[in-house]
Amino acid sequence: MNLRNSSRRENGPIFFALLATIVVVILVELIFVRGFNISKVAFIKPRNIANVLMQVSTTGILAISMTFVMVSGGIDLSIGQMMCFIGTGMAFMMRIAALNEWVVVVLGVFVAMLFQVLMGFIISRTKLEPFIVSLGFMSIYKGFTYLITNGSEITIVGRFSFLGGTYLNLTDTFRIGMPVFVLILLEIIMWLVLKYTKFGRSVYAVGGNENAAYLAGINVKRFKLLVYGLNGVFVAIATMVLLSRLGTGNPLIGDGKEIDVIAAVVVGGTALSGGKGNVWGTLIGVLLLGCISNALNILGVNPYWQYVMTGAIIILAVLLSYFSSLSSSSVKAGSRKGDSGEIKSALAQ
Amino acid sequence: MPEDLILDMNGIWKSYPGVSVFEGFDFDLRKGEIHCICGENGAGKSTLIKILSGAHSPDRGTLYFEGEKVENLSPHSAMQMGIQTIYQEHNLFPLLNVVENLFAGSEITAGLMINTVTMIAKAREILEYLHSDLSPFDVVGKLSSSARKIVEIAKALIHEAKVIIFDEPTAAFSQVEIDHLFGIIRKLAQNGTSIIYISHHLEEVFRLADRVTVIRDGKKVNTYAIADLTEQKLIRDMVGRDVSLFYQRSRLPIGDEIVFETRHLTGNGVRDVSFSVRRGEILGIAGMDGSGRTELAELLFGVKRAVSGEILIRGKKVRMKTPLSAIRHKMCFITEDRQSMGLFLRHTLVRNIPIVSYTRTRSPFALPADDMKISEQYVGELHIRTPSLFQLVMQLSGGNQQKVVLAKWFASRGEFFIFDEPTRGIDVGAKEEIYRIMIELLKQEKSIIMISSDMPELVAMSDRIIVMRNGTASAELEKDDINQEAVLKHAIGVAS
Repeated sequence: MNLRNSSRRENGPIFFALLATIVVVILVELIFVRGFNISKVAFIKPRNIANVLMQVSTTGILAISMTFVMVSGGIDLSIGQMMCFIGTGMAFMMRIAALNEWVVVVLGVFVAMLFQVLMGFIISRTKLEPFIVSLGFMSIYKGFTYLITNGSEITIVGRFSFLGGTYLNLTDTFRIGMPVFVLILLEIIMWLVLKYTKFGRSVYAVGGNENAAYLAGINVKRFKLLVYGLNGVFVAIATMVLLSRLGTGNPLIGDGKEIDVIAAVVVGGTALSGGKGNVWGTLIGVLLLGCISNALNILGVNPYWQYVMTGAIIILAVLLSYFSSLSSSSVKAGSRKGDSGEIKSALAQ
Repeated sequence: MPEDLILDMNGIWKSYPGVSVFEGFDFDLRKGEIHCICGENGAGKSTLIKILSGAHSPDRGTLYFEGEKVENLSPHSAMQMGIQTIYQEHNLFPLLNVVENLFAGSEITAGLMINTVTMIAKAREILEYLHSDLSPFDVVGKLSSSARKIVEIAKALIHEAKVIIFDEPTAAFSQVEIDHLFGIIRKLAQNGTSIIYISHHLEEVFRLADRVTVIRDGKKVNTYAIADLTEQKLIRDMVGRDVSLFYQRSRLPIGDEIVFETRHLTGNGVRDVSFSVRRGEILGIAGMDGSGRTELAELLFGVKRAVSGEILIRGKKVRMKTPLSAIRHKMCFITEDRQSMGLFLRHTLVRNIPIVSYTRTRSPFALPADDMKISEQYVGELHIRTPSLFQLVMQLSGGNQQKVVLAKWFASRGEFFIFDEPTRGIDVGAKEEIYRIMIELLKQEKSIIMISSDMPELVAMSDRIIVMRNGTASAELEKDDINQEAVLKHAIGVAS
């Protein structure tokens, strides 16, 4: 018997769901919109694929660190509003305070990290729910955003366009933007961190059983500071990418982003209770939601249906994991019942 | 059934998955008597409460209450019949006041409205009957432990209890509070309420009881009128088993070197505990539940910090600030509750076993290949039965789960092992394997501190035994002095 045999493919189901979605979208467009003319199917045109990748890149970057937060048993609802705060703050510093772009980048990352470490500090030193604490910070950031901008946007057109405006032209129509490369790079780095470092092991351990992790010598408090600090850095990076692409510090730049991100992480197989999940599953979740939203556009569906779809997919994903955990635990309960039944009949003899 | 019996249990059988607790248990209770139940930890005392309060139903056997056969007892019907249980832990609403607690779920109503005036009057009446100076408006969460017991008794009286079961009611009570409680209990009995009183404080039993029933291994050993009972007799009945039938460990030469030592260790409910462990020795820690054994282990492992006193390793003073500092001093802690404190149940073996070994190096990296190697090695050495390293730990049996915990600590290459209830809830075969593993550790010149409620196990395995009582070490027994009776005497405090 080989102990190393493993039949587990954690991302199998979600990867299958992504493929199935793509196939369905192509078929629907082919049959109902393009009249069986495959060359006209917009969904698989290189330009559209590049577009989808560009659109998901910000969510993708945020979802990586959110995976770390959620696998370790936490959650952060504040990231969307933090983007607004950091985004408008950076625009403010560039335009109104006329600071050098690189100084602004350093400051942006620093401030985002600082606030997240503060949140991590509160969460790790107390028994307060991350849900509520981050909800509080969400409102604080929203206030900061409007204090900075007074509700109007701060344009920085022509400045700081390196991240959003640089492309690699593969063909005339297929060009990959810098944000996509940032996403892929961070994805690979964080996959390696999760797989090959003690920090990565701690993510699973703390999320799996915080008490046991503490007794196994993990400094849980310091670990949580690190995770939330890391999340701050990722929020700052995602903000910069989006700010650079849009060229303006809009007070709604990250509004509602937390929903998309948490949805992608959950769809990607991360358990809300912690201890389970990985960054590739999350990436597939991001792509899945991105494809669906893009497909609804192409098929001419009212864009407001996107919210309905996203919500339905989250609930579906949670339901599926609920039923799979239910079936595995019922098998266990069944076998237990069998055991006690045997004992009873043994006693009766 | 004689006239004056209120409760009569005959041939009760009860088993839980993997263990049978009651094997033909008999018990009877007279009207207006105080009946004490004695037995070691795990003898079946709490199962008796669960059956009488309707929380669990027996597999077989008959139960008569006031001469009528009772079937399918539920918590609700038990209370309606007049069986009230006052548990060790409080069952009150801390944010509500005394009246609200007394009538929670059984409010006196006038139409749709709650009749507060009547309830307050009735509460006053009952508190007066109990000679209590509590106000009906005191918020329960702010009351002392003994005052809350009074509230619980009052609550039982409001439900017109015919039988009141007390489970270790005097934990954390002062002598005055105990006297007051005993006064109340005697008064209740004189007025016709029957009392079942469970305690491992023998002096309380001898002060209070009319009759005493001793339980051992899920059977009634004997019921005595208190006049016919001596402490000697009681202890012999509680212990009963013959240790020679138990696991025979091989005795190895113990080193002279003291490798682990505490001096006047205090904190976390533990007072002034001093002991030493030599190389290759098993130091047993005995004591009843709540005597401070686990609390002591938590101090040793840095889970809780000591207020005063010191810990020495090989003569050098060390400070256990966190579990991590304990681990760096080569300590291992096999916790009592392996599922919630020791294991990552929803993770695989390969994610569980290497987790402590990461503390051995300062490098930030952890390689999956190393994880596999370590896991494979200890799965092999400890004979953990699993189809694969990728099996979830929750899918293993109790014994194999415990071995995963051991593997985790072996992989950390520790030298001082604290075993807290190492064989709780695992079957006989797996128990022997755990014992064998412990002896293997001794052969490698490691040292063991073993906490156990299982008296025969502790007596058979230990080279020396510290007996804990009320948070402090009440005795240290060595070699020939080690026997179950001696340990039990010190644990319940009747040793002369």
